[in-house]
Amino acid sequence: MTHTAPTPALRMGIPIPHGKLGMWLFLGTEIMFFTAIVGTYIVMRLGSRGWPTDVNVTYINVYLGGLNTFVLIVSSYFVVLAHDSMHDKNYFQARKFLWWTALLGVVFLGIKGIEYKGKFDHGILPGKIAETNRQAMTMMVDQLTNTYDRQLAALAPKGTPVADQATLLTAEMNRLSDKGDRSPADEARLAQLKAVAKLELAANNLRDHVRAEVTLELPQDQLNALRAQSMTDSAVTRPAAIKLEEVQHFIEDLHHDTELAPLVGHLHPITPMLYGNLFASNYFFMTGFHALHVVIGLILFGVVLVPGRLSASWSLYVENVGLYWHFVDLVWIFLFPLIYIVQW
Amino acid sequence: MSSAATEAQSHRQTYFRVFVALCVLTALSVAADAIKLSNPWVLRSIILSIATAKAMCVMLFFMHLKFEKAWKYLLLAPTIVLAISLPLALASDVGFDYYIDETPQAASFEQQNRNWDNHNGASRIGDNRGSDPATKTDSAATTNP
Repeated sequence: MTHTAPTPALRMGIPIPHGKLGMWLFLGTEIMFFTAIVGTYIVMRLGSRGWPTDVNVTYINVYLGGLNTFVLIVSSYFVVLAHDSMHDKNYFQARKFLWWTALLGVVFLGIKGIEYKGKFDHGILPGKIAETNRQAMTMMVDQLTNTYDRQLAALAPKGTPVADQATLLTAEMNRLSDKGDRSPADEARLAQLKAVAKLELAANNLRDHVRAEVTLELPQDQLNALRAQSMTDSAVTRPAAIKLEEVQHFIEDLHHDTELAPLVGHLHPITPMLYGNLFASNYFFMTGFHALHVVIGLILFGVVLVPGRLSASWSLYVENVGLYWHFVDLVWIFLFPLIYIVQW
Repeated sequence: MSSAATEAQSHRQTYFRVFVALCVLTALSVAADAIKLSNPWVLRSIILSIATAKAMCVMLFFMHLKFEKAWKYLLLAPTIVLAISLPLALASDVGFDYYIDETPQAASFEQQNRNWDNHNGASRIGDNRGSDPATKTDSAATTNP
């Protein structure tokens, strides 16, 4: 026989393909990357007294997290089966398993998206969370004032300068209520204007009380008198301080007012969350970087799946993508208990 | 059946067993959370042991480290040393927790622990803590009626 199998070129170093060596070195750096992030989280959490652990405040859902863990484990199992099928030269089956893996990756991101949406809806964003009662009250005042500003702008003719909107609409309201024979359109417009005027009173009332730190039980006119008096007389007896619960009830009551309810639809009482901003930063940093790894994994699966048929030349690629995907699963295996379960 | 086919078959069986083990361990950690243990450190030890067991399953079988040659130690040992030393370096920070009492949140936490209702600020009525321009306009309006 003249033809002999070519002798593999003698080479130095580790007896694995270069691609696989590269993937393992990369995974080595990834281990350090995620250890740093998780280590920082643990330090911050143990160093903070009163870390938010109440799931009614943090909206951490252990069952969604558990479901996602399951989804990633199944996808990890499928990718190992894909690798096995490549080894058996059953490329059709390998392709099928890779599709399933990628699909489960998308499902993981979908569930993650539902969780993120829930957090966004409750205002859980780094730097946006009220941590103290005072901050929560100020935030409710700001939201109510912004709502009033928006409603005012919606009723005013387009292009009216912001400063003139209130004057213009007050004049229109007075003109309409003085008008003897009002058409149904006039009636509707008047009702809208009256509701916004009422909203302005409510917003001003709450703002003044919160700024002065005086209980809402004191009527607005008495508060104004007291504030004027205190400017000259520093010995004024201070009324009871405003409480968080009062402000929360005030916001809730707006929803029970038939006139105001349609205007304040999305406003809700705010509960302060101590260390909430640090919590949100850590949560989004860890899960966000993990989700980014999932997205990159999906792109890597796309590279092998989109061109079409698989062949022996893809074996090493599938093995490397598999290693990467198992690592993504591995990170989640630690993130799940640390974020979703541990109540320090 | 050829020996290669039998080997492939046994591989598949191993993978399936590992997969089932991973599912069971996940269910266990959710269950450990659900039974609301009184001692948090017990829960922490349980779920972190479970996580480590799962990680070992994935690395040894799915990532084939059990079947790889000695190069795996060459690659992973330095990484693991660095990965472990980083949290240990931070651990002194946790141990001494020197910065806790200086955060505004810690002060606020203490204040919330005391009865908030007894809060009786010495500030003057109309005292504006906010720094927004609207607040300033507001106080100006009060002084110049």
